[in-house]
Amino acid sequence: MATTQQPAVEPNPLLEGLRLRRTPDPCALVIFGASGDLTKRKLFPALYSLALRRLLPEHFGIVGVARTEETDDQFRDAMKAAVQEFGRDDFREETWDWIAERMRYVATDFADEEGQQRVVSALNDLDEHYGTAGNRVYYLAVPPDAISTLVHEIGEHRSAEGWTRLIVEKPFGRDLASAQELNAQLQEHFAENEVFRIDHYLGKETVQNLLALRFANGIFEPIWNRQFVDHIQITVAESIGIEGRAAFYEQAGAIRDIFQNHLLQLVALTAMEPPIDFTDDSVRNEKVKVLRAMHTPGPKHVVRGQYGPGFVEGEEVPGYRDEEGVARDSRTETFVSAKLFVDNWRWADTPFYLRAGKRLARRETTIAIEFKRAPHPPFEEAAEEELRPNVLVVHIQPDEGVSLEFAAKVPGQGMTLRTVHMDFLYGGAFRTGIPEAYERLILDCLLGDATLFTRSDEVEEQWSLVDAIVAAWKRDRPAFPNYEAGTWGPAAADELIRRDGRSWRRH
Amino acid sequence: MATALASIAEIEHELGAQRIDAATGEPFQRTSVMSHVAWVPEAWVEAAEDVLSGLAERHPSRTIVLFPDPDADDGLDASVQVDCFRAGEGRQVCTETIRLRLGGKRSEAPASVIEPLLLPDLPAFLRWRGLPPFGERQFEQLVAAVDRLIIDSTEWPGLPQPYERLAEIFDRVAVSDIAWARTSRWRPHLATLWPGIADVSRVKVTGTEAQAHLLAGWLRSRLQREIAMEHEPAERLAAVELDGEPVPFPPGDPPDPADLLSDELERFTRDRVYEDAVRATA
Repeated sequence: MATTQQPAVEPNPLLEGLRLRRTPDPCALVIFGASGDLTKRKLFPALYSLALRRLLPEHFGIVGVARTEETDDQFRDAMKAAVQEFGRDDFREETWDWIAERMRYVATDFADEEGQQRVVSALNDLDEHYGTAGNRVYYLAVPPDAISTLVHEIGEHRSAEGWTRLIVEKPFGRDLASAQELNAQLQEHFAENEVFRIDHYLGKETVQNLLALRFANGIFEPIWNRQFVDHIQITVAESIGIEGRAAFYEQAGAIRDIFQNHLLQLVALTAMEPPIDFTDDSVRNEKVKVLRAMHTPGPKHVVRGQYGPGFVEGEEVPGYRDEEGVARDSRTETFVSAKLFVDNWRWADTPFYLRAGKRLARRETTIAIEFKRAPHPPFEEAAEEELRPNVLVVHIQPDEGVSLEFAAKVPGQGMTLRTVHMDFLYGGAFRTGIPEAYERLILDCLLGDATLFTRSDEVEEQWSLVDAIVAAWKRDRPAFPNYEAGTWGPAAADELIRRDGRSWRRH
Repeated sequence: MATALASIAEIEHELGAQRIDAATGEPFQRTSVMSHVAWVPEAWVEAAEDVLSGLAERHPSRTIVLFPDPDADDGLDASVQVDCFRAGEGRQVCTETIRLRLGGKRSEAPASVIEPLLLPDLPAFLRWRGLPPFGERQFEQLVAAVDRLIIDSTEWPGLPQPYERLAEIFDRVAVSDIAWARTSRWRPHLATLWPGIADVSRVKVTGTEAQAHLLAGWLRSRLQREIAMEHEPAERLAAVELDGEPVPFPPGDPPDPADLLSDELERFTRDRVYEDAVRATA
């Protein structure tokens, strides 16, 4: 019997060697919580920067949804002012006009069925006039208690044409049970690859640079293990207080605000095995293995703190309990530090010391890998304190970059040693301007790339660890406040690391 | 901050001095990602300075600008400039520009001047203004000393013949051509016309002569067929017709010259598609 063969599809020879940028499909972005701070400070400035660089699809539209009564034009004016105030680029009227004409606003309560119909009408209007083709990205920039309703409403009204994606802001739940419940709700309406759980730290260039540092250089990975690394310190320090977010912060505290997401993600990226490629599941598979390998620290290995009054950058600042909206006897922690272990072949018995807090001495996020000391330095004249270990520091903010501390001989007679820094300053080597995390993350979502977003199992592993810590806290009453604003946290945090014969890095 | 200097040792000494912040006595942070050598004959001085200004900030580098002056007395006449830019909170990084006037016989042996000044272990780029004197000593020397040659064949008279000479150096040095980069908006756009474009037999290009030759060469080499070329002179690439049919204008704005050079400074490997296009220009 004769068989017919499909003609081979000839590859396009004109594409060879072209540096093509991936362009997102036509789509409409719906922002729930459009009158909120996140939308003004981060989302619209990011959208403007993407539009300026022509990274948004040509067929694009935005629907802002919030309870605030506003017209389309009032919404446009408010967002224009936000871009001018918070954007990183010079303001160009023609770029803004391109965005503004594609903007719609719907004032509604999120649970209001009639309001949801108006959102659908606005989207249909964008499909008709701007060719957004039924593709939808829903950005849930709303308080946690509104998410469940919205997930249901969006799921019920999802477009029959095109694709649908959902960006969910942190906090993703407040414990393991609520996170599992939210994941289950999401899974009722959406597949996992349609859900983009944002942790904006993962969108930071320097966090991604950690992966480049580890996996694009041959010199680091062979020593990136328990044989050569003495311990790792990860610090997420903020000098600011709660900035009027008492209602949220009283419920969350440092452990839910920073530790559960940013800090544990940084641990995962630092400790993960090399992924086989840089696709979303390959990277997230390796991260989740690290999270599963962390064992719950005992109560002696976790310290919590709350700031009292003090001075930050010379300015007198109130204690946490004196902040507006905070209970006078609040037991919410504004600082947490912990010693964790990753129980796997690479990291067994290598401590990870973590700390995060508000109203600390300075704003700084760093990952410091402290290597074991030289086994037998042959310099009799050099005092022992001169022989400090090598430390590789990844500076995530500010002054993004990488530095390596090593010993060098002080010029002159004798063998006097001093620790010097070899610095790679991100902004110094690449003068193109570092994109904001939200630019990268919004664009990745439009492209359908979930590599820098958190998967459901990662979130649940993170909550599992946090739940165990919080459960232990319920058994005692902390003597808060226990650190002065403008310091590096409670004395117990210093003791936590000093017990092991180590100390926090000097800043 | 310019001081007249007459030897490599003096240049290095002056660089060392300028790296110290006069106010604090502390050294500036020096950041370099490459050495950038520019060969700038008299006729190109103004244009070269225009492009160089602003480039240092985007590509922290040691830039060595060579001004050949074969009719002058033998000798070096150099100046050094250290420019500092803010980088992070309270910190700044500095880049270095060395301007060297090569008088008399010094202009015949430029590689011996730049070799001691190239930053070790970093890529070296050579920007050559105008038509390179293929086969001549100073050009061959400099090409041997760098990793990448950047030319702009728009500046070349008598096209397409010089492309033949250019093709002879492809195995010795990676080449970037700003004229080729200026076609970068059109090539992806033309690629979208596949497979209809596969049988095209004539292309008319309204633009510079270099753009016309390179686009035609690109189509010939990629499509593996003879394609006749017609050229309508214009200062920039304004239109392309295929077999008499105008191709719609591609989206976006044309990049400015500093952006084009900046993009080429981020390339480190040979561009085989460009090389094929050059070979197919004749």
